Amino acid sequence: MTIRAIRALIALLLPPACREEVLGDLQERNATSGGFCIDAMRTVPHVIASRIRRTADPQLLLMHAIALYLCYYAAGWFMDRALLRETWGLARPAIPALLVLLVLLLEDAYSKPGPRSRLQLARGPLIAFGFVFLAQSLPSRIVLVGSALSLPLTLALRLLFSPQSTSRQGPV
Amino acid sequence: MAKPDSLGQFEQLVLTAILTRGDDAYGVSIHSKVEELARPKAVSLGAVYVTLDRLEDKGLVKSWLSDPTPERGGRAKRCYRLEGLGERALEESAVTAKRVWDGIAQVWGKEWVKQWSKRWVTQ
Repeated sequence: MTIRAIRALIALLLPPACREEVLGDLQERNATSGGFCIDAMRTVPHVIASRIRRTADPQLLLMHAIALYLCYYAAGWFMDRALLRETWGLARPAIPALLVLLVLLLEDAYSKPGPRSRLQLARGPLIAFGFVFLAQSLPSRIVLVGSALSLPLTLALRLLFSPQSTSRQGPV
Repeated sequence: MAKPDSLGQFEQLVLTAILTRGDDAYGVSIHSKVEELARPKAVSLGAVYVTLDRLEDKGLVKSWLSDPTPERGGRAKRCYRLEGLGERALEESAVTAKRVWDGIAQVWGKEWVKQWSKRWVTQ
């Protein structure tokens, strides 16, 4: 992989809200590409974690978690009750719920700062449910019913309680 | 008037760095000043970013993007300045630190404090 590609990858990993200044700082601190990459590897995880902390709303996440778990649990209860009685059966509906939460967290962290349209708010849940289908952590029909139940709830929660978006200022 | 939260030690260092850098307070310059203040401990740039974000969320500092510069590959700087609440929080921390210093000086003696401070300044 060329240095240029590594730099492009680092730029891609950085959330757009802080990409400009972090890349500029890394460029200013490091004359060599090797130094740039090492510095980026140490810095980028902190930047991502901080951005997630800033954009995540714990109360909203908890509401999402409860709604998602109950939807997949209900789907399992109606479609295949035996699955829930297996060892760790009650934990299995939590896997798609956690996957959706993770995608929503990252989607919020990587969204551009400022107000977002309804369509942009709906993008996260749609991507998340795509991942749930791909992950196949539960039988397909349970995933299908669980997602059909939880998608409207997730969308409604996001539209009613819009995720936080720090409004950092642009150039002066 | 809003009462500022009490500051952690690293937050105090970052606020002091912003104060001393004045109009030139941005990621790299703040980090180098924090490293100078925290020596002999090493400080990562990432830790400075995390703290700057937290201080901004608390309303202690304000940030804005400057114009892009060629030495930064055409990228802009995010500049910081202290807000009134940040200045008050830093002032409170400085007063507390002074009280701690005076308390130590009272018990251990001024001569010992003089030697001790000389040792740390030369490090």
